[in-house]
Amino acid sequence: MISNFILMNGYGFFVWSSFALTFLVCVVVYYRTLKTLKKYEKEFAKEIEELSVEQKKIVLEKSKVASKVLSSYNKTI
Amino acid sequence: MLNFFNNSNIFIWIEKLINFINSIFFALLLAALSFALIFSPPDYLQGDSVRIMYVHVPSAWIGLASFTCIALLSLINFIFKIKNFTLIAKSIAPIGLMFTCIAIVTGSIWGQPTWGTFWAWDARITSMVILALFYFIFIASHKLISQEERANKISSVIAILGLINIPIIKYSVEWWSTLHQPASIKITGTSTIHPSMLMPLLLMFLVLILYCALIFLMKYKTEIIRIKKKNLKRL
Repeated sequence: MISNFILMNGYGFFVWSSFALTFLVCVVVYYRTLKTLKKYEKEFAKEIEELSVEQKKIVLEKSKVASKVLSSYNKTI
Repeated sequence: MLNFFNNSNIFIWIEKLINFINSIFFALLLAALSFALIFSPPDYLQGDSVRIMYVHVPSAWIGLASFTCIALLSLINFIFKIKNFTLIAKSIAPIGLMFTCIAIVTGSIWGQPTWGTFWAWDARITSMVILALFYFIFIASHKLISQEERANKISSVIAILGLINIPIIKYSVEWWSTLHQPASIKITGTSTIHPSMLMPLLLMFLVLILYCALIFLMKYKTEIIRIKKKNLKRL
């Protein structure tokens, strides 16, 4: 039963390599995309933190994106 | 209404959508893989090698649909200059290239047991390779041209030119004599695929579409942060 599932009546190599390749590429692209996103979030949050108190207040009031990124960054550290 | 489409509101919706997709993705993936690899029957002619269809066909559909989207967005952007459309097109392109390449490689793997060869320069395969090249040039134009406006213009022209290739891919199996079989699933007309194979195919397509949406949303979110970061420097 299990060997039939693995061998796929002689087509196992072709079927499994197709699925494995698709899965592998999807996982690699997912992690690379996530890593880039996190990198940008971190850099953006750090730049906001480096602003003067007044500038920071203006940015956080004006931009929902900035306040969201900063709050999620502060949760992670 | 227009306020809804500003980057801040879009950003909040992106976060909600990412959380929603993450919550249903693995259950759907497990179901799709079970049907594709275990419950769907082998083909009477191709045997179990037909299971490659469950990754090959959805990948090809996504590759074609993504480029059509990019080209249409570029065309609208070319006329109406909507900046968000450039961001969307730029975020879709890597996903489209990835799935076009997956379709080509899995098609090549499927070709060996079915046609007796990994590769043939027939109309369908060649036009798919041309599609991958269009994707590559589109992405490269954004990476290599530093002036953003110029990069957008050039990439838009590339996408609009590449649109000509889409009907060629679709009808290549009818216009030329090729090794590739004609379409089994027709939007207008009767499909020639059995429901026991159609259901896993559509399920796999749904899973891969959700995956694409997830990657697209993460890339779009990155682009919004990149723009906001640039604006912060101008302060």
